[in-house]
Amino acid sequence: MLKLKAIDINYGDIQALWEISLRVEEGELVAIVGSNGAGKSTILKTISGLIRPRNGSVEFEGKRIDGLAPDRIVRAGISMVPEGRELFPRMSVRENLEMGATYIGRARAQAARSLEHVHELFPVLAQRAGQLAGTLSGGEQQMVAIGRALMAKPRILIMDEPSLGLAPLMVEEVFRAARTVNREGVTVILVEQNVRQSLKFAHRGYVLENGRIVMEGTGKELSENRHVKEAYLGL
Amino acid sequence: MGSSIRWKTTLPLAILCAFLLLFPKLVGSYFLHLAVSGILAMILASSWDILARTGQVSVGQAGLFGIGAYSSALLYQRYALPPVLGMLAGALIATFVSIFLGYLTLRLRGIYFSITTIAFAEALTVIWLMTPDITGGAMGVSTPPLFGGDREKAYYLILAILAAVVAVVWLIEQSRLNFAFTAIRENEDVANVLGINPTKYKVLAFMISAFFTGFAGGFYSHYNTYIIPYEVFNLGVSIACLVMPIFGGLYTIAGPILGTVLIKAIEEYLRVTFSYGHQIAYGLILVLVVLFMPEGLLGLWRGKILPLFRSRPGR
Repeated sequence: MLKLKAIDINYGDIQALWEISLRVEEGELVAIVGSNGAGKSTILKTISGLIRPRNGSVEFEGKRIDGLAPDRIVRAGISMVPEGRELFPRMSVRENLEMGATYIGRARAQAARSLEHVHELFPVLAQRAGQLAGTLSGGEQQMVAIGRALMAKPRILIMDEPSLGLAPLMVEEVFRAARTVNREGVTVILVEQNVRQSLKFAHRGYVLENGRIVMEGTGKELSENRHVKEAYLGL
Repeated sequence: MGSSIRWKTTLPLAILCAFLLLFPKLVGSYFLHLAVSGILAMILASSWDILARTGQVSVGQAGLFGIGAYSSALLYQRYALPPVLGMLAGALIATFVSIFLGYLTLRLRGIYFSITTIAFAEALTVIWLMTPDITGGAMGVSTPPLFGGDREKAYYLILAILAAVVAVVWLIEQSRLNFAFTAIRENEDVANVLGINPTKYKVLAFMISAFFTGFAGGFYSHYNTYIIPYEVFNLGVSIACLVMPIFGGLYTIAGPILGTVLIKAIEEYLRVTFSYGHQIAYGLILVLVVLFMPEGLLGLWRGKILPLFRSRPGR
């Protein structure tokens, strides 16, 4: 469904990604894990169109999307939950959610139903609908950010470090939500520093180190791998 | 409850409208002239604010103002185009220029756009001075008084344009544009991954802003009967466009208008008391507002003054 082929990314003179190739099949939940600065967010920015690769290609359902503007890529069906949530703090929870559907024609027509669906996924957001997003707890804000991305009716949902800065219970809840969304038919790409949790939930994973993919496998294979255990799981 | 709140806002608005419509019958020529130049400034301030809603700070509104002024005056001089049509032509030409300038510069972010707009207005002055055969050069262009010097008619025309600006801003606030503008202002990348094309919306805001600024320029040239490049393309015009909304309260309907009323009052008082006083006042106001009341007069009213009058606790 989504294919990255030999992507190179440069920030000025510094090469951030080296020949990144990965694929995500329809219905999968794929984790991309690695430590800080490994290049995880750069991969996501490349997929969502915020950065253009120097070499290589991104294909979505057989069509190249590298070089398309981010708003076109969202319309094609790839939505992003940005790192740090990035809500609009002085808008209400409902307005933040509605923004996700407002600028995408086919999602706008179904906005009311999508909103109900988000409220089923995160019942607390129905109670907080009128509250300003900036006054929510970190976990609730993460729910709004996920909900906002779902309002666009994506085929692929990309989550950039959703567990960052959340309490352990909340982390669990966010990952569970990712799995629920995935079971409902949305392909999910999860980028995480929280290696243990994300590999537990993912079908497959890629391990990123210094801008290169060093390992790939099922969630189980990776979490039992000796190198992963030593480097990321502290075992 | 709902109807009483609506009553509270519609009644003062109706009184204000009646007052504005009757205003020429109530005052003499001097105050009518002050009102005309005040309303002209309100249009400039509100137009600037429309663009500012997308996070773009234009410091070159004088360029659009001058294009409107010169288009209108030159079309009258060369082709005897009626002034009101000339103003419309000026507005459309300014809009056209804003599309061109917008697509070139609005991909840039923040300070780069601001710098480009300054350069744009300054470059126009030079171009005008270098092409006296076409533009009238430093000598300027003069036109006969608008409506044969009937200030009352001029007042109603400019009031109608202000009403149009207010209506457009109101429509923006009711529409999808409002969230798009706010989202772009607060975080362009996030707006973009929500499906908003930032350049498109920024150019649209710039076009609306340019249309009314150009119209105001056309009105100015005919009302004033005489324009020179140093005046209409002046940086002072651009600065005035941004000081008034910042003073009154950004991204609101009332803010730019309220700010203009107060600044114009201060300016007029200082103009009669000592020369260049109003320019010092602009500087002082800008510094004080940015330091102490970043949300302008409206923010001050909502945050500090209104709560003093609330008798009961809570909202």
